[in-house]
Amino acid sequence: METSNDLIALAGNPNAGKTTLFNALTGSLEKVGNYPGVTVSVKQGEMRNSHGKALELIDLPGSYSLEGGSPDQQIARDVLRGENSKIPKPDLVVCVLDASNLERHLQIALEIIELEIPVIVALNMVDVAENAGLRLDPVKLSEELGVPVVPIQADKGKGLVELKQALGHPFPANPETRWESNDAESRRAFGLEVANLAARRSEAHTSTVSDKLDRILLHPILGWVCFIGIMFALFWSIFSFAGIPMGWIESLQDWATGLVENAMAEGDLRDLITQGIIGGVGSVVIFLPQILLLFFFIGLMESSGYMARAAFLMDGFMAKVGLSGKAFLPLLSSYACAIPGVMAARTIDSPKERLVTIFVAPWMSCSARLPVYLLLVPMLLGGSEGGAMQALIFLGIYVLGTLTAFIVARILRGKLGPDEVETHFMLELPPYRFPQWKYIFRHVLDRGWAFLKNAGTVILGIMILLWAATTYPKLDSDDPGEVLSHTIVGRVSAAIEPIVKPMGFDGRTGTAILTSFAAREVFVGSMAQLFNVDEADEDTETRNSIREILAKETWPDGRKMFSPAAVISLLIFYIYALQCLPTTAVVARETKSWKWGIGQFIFMTVFAGVASLLVYQVAMLFGLA
Amino acid sequence: MAHSLVQDLESDSLQSLAQAQVGCDFQISRLEGPGCDQLRNLGFCESIQVRKLANGRNLICSVCGTRVALSSDLADQVKVQPTDS
Repeated sequence: METSNDLIALAGNPNAGKTTLFNALTGSLEKVGNYPGVTVSVKQGEMRNSHGKALELIDLPGSYSLEGGSPDQQIARDVLRGENSKIPKPDLVVCVLDASNLERHLQIALEIIELEIPVIVALNMVDVAENAGLRLDPVKLSEELGVPVVPIQADKGKGLVELKQALGHPFPANPETRWESNDAESRRAFGLEVANLAARRSEAHTSTVSDKLDRILLHPILGWVCFIGIMFALFWSIFSFAGIPMGWIESLQDWATGLVENAMAEGDLRDLITQGIIGGVGSVVIFLPQILLLFFFIGLMESSGYMARAAFLMDGFMAKVGLSGKAFLPLLSSYACAIPGVMAARTIDSPKERLVTIFVAPWMSCSARLPVYLLLVPMLLGGSEGGAMQALIFLGIYVLGTLTAFIVARILRGKLGPDEVETHFMLELPPYRFPQWKYIFRHVLDRGWAFLKNAGTVILGIMILLWAATTYPKLDSDDPGEVLSHTIVGRVSAAIEPIVKPMGFDGRTGTAILTSFAAREVFVGSMAQLFNVDEADEDTETRNSIREILAKETWPDGRKMFSPAAVISLLIFYIYALQCLPTTAVVARETKSWKWGIGQFIFMTVFAGVASLLVYQVAMLFGLA
Repeated sequence: MAHSLVQDLESDSLQSLAQAQVGCDFQISRLEGPGCDQLRNLGFCESIQVRKLANGRNLICSVCGTRVALSSDLADQVKVQPTDS
């Protein structure tokens, strides 16, 4: 990072509101949440002080101390000490402190003051502190610390003008330490003394709304009832409610296909547009509502403060598989997408627990697998969508992936042995807050846009290539089967078929699986194209649901190709296979080892293949053919 | 001799946060064990007042106005005494 502007860093404890302040100062919309550890990497942006001078602002991950801590906290420490190779030492640090908990938040401010960098204290959430009965005295705090103190409410935009004025030139001089010596003991004693003077706490413990809510939500029985209810609502909305907007997208797709077919003469180009582009990309875009709902629910849990409660409840269960409640959040995020899930594992203190969490995270069925499941599951139910049975099978799929992940986690954790330094479960339970709708909706839209962009680039590209590969080289014949076997796909399918046949798939399904190693959701579009080829001459048939077409497919000996055994085998493959190159790259980065990234990819792919083979063969024995 | 007697008497009146009664306020007297740094980072320091809110595998308490969940192993390392009030 190179900049000619002064570099300002936002630092402080986790969940002090640094990213909310960063967004307010820079106009960015970085992800915020109400639990410790939302920011796990450095975010940067530009702001202007009250004189209009441009300043480079960086938002550091929250840190309790500049000593030790999890990797996200080490990033903050390295930057503040000027030991980060990519980011220069900041010219000024804005310490963001939660005014309602100065006793604790002051400790890191004192450590930063010892670094001899100009410091400004942004005393955040003054409204929350005052409502909790604290009597704040920012002037006294400034006198005691020897640095400027600006009271703010970052979420409401209050105090920002004063903060921008404080960031005007010249910056305050390097503060002097006013405690006996630069050790933790002296800092602690000084911090407590200052907190007592500048934020007097009333003696009586008043029961807050959060206390009352926690009595229910963390209750040993009621807490679990609520947790299961919330999880049920999450998955129900994805698998049932999402059907309504999905229907709209489907109608839009049919309308667009009809429009092109009426406007263009028959030919290769029309086929490319209707089958390759509208059919292929459309079959993936249809799952947008479900992905948006999943991210919305997770955003809601993060923003309200419930996520930390869920981690608390799950700790006992997670301990049985060698993990802790802190692994719950990365694993739950992985149901949406494994990449943020793997990155969220940075907040786990134990290095070995972190490694195990990263290793099993891709087995939490991510949103990219949803299109595949939604295509295949109804085939087990005679083609009908919806209903309790479908919900039950979906639940089974999610449970199977999760349980396997837990079993592997247990084995791997046992093999890795205990950590060198023992860590214990400890988690801040932040007060409940109303969700910050603006950021939730922005985050959901960002994820939706990323999904559409992927559909418009990677998936579109693969669809066009696949269309070409199923069309060329052309053969002058009336037999569609003969025409297909002459094309590139026909030849690839023939080569793959002996390998995938024991798993219950023909060469075309094998080819569709191959294409989905670029992105899982490609599978649906690939199947739509690969199996539509036979029907190309029957114009109305091409618009029929891909599922109906697959249901009619037979092996040369007349057996049904997509028998329950084959569909289950396919589902098993998609539950377990790691078909996502960006995840492998992120795992390699987070573990600082390609060995783990590639090892995980090979392990999961081989596991998926073997599981699929076994399931198909056993299912055949039980007569599910 | 007298000094060690005072210390013994003081130790007798201390209990760990894990053993402490739910719903009561305590003052932290001492932290002892390998988790001290982790505890101090989250505000558990000598002379600070803490209220125990719930028992369990992980117990919940309120310290400096913040609710914190911590394992009973860690809570065992926090020695507390009832507040005067």
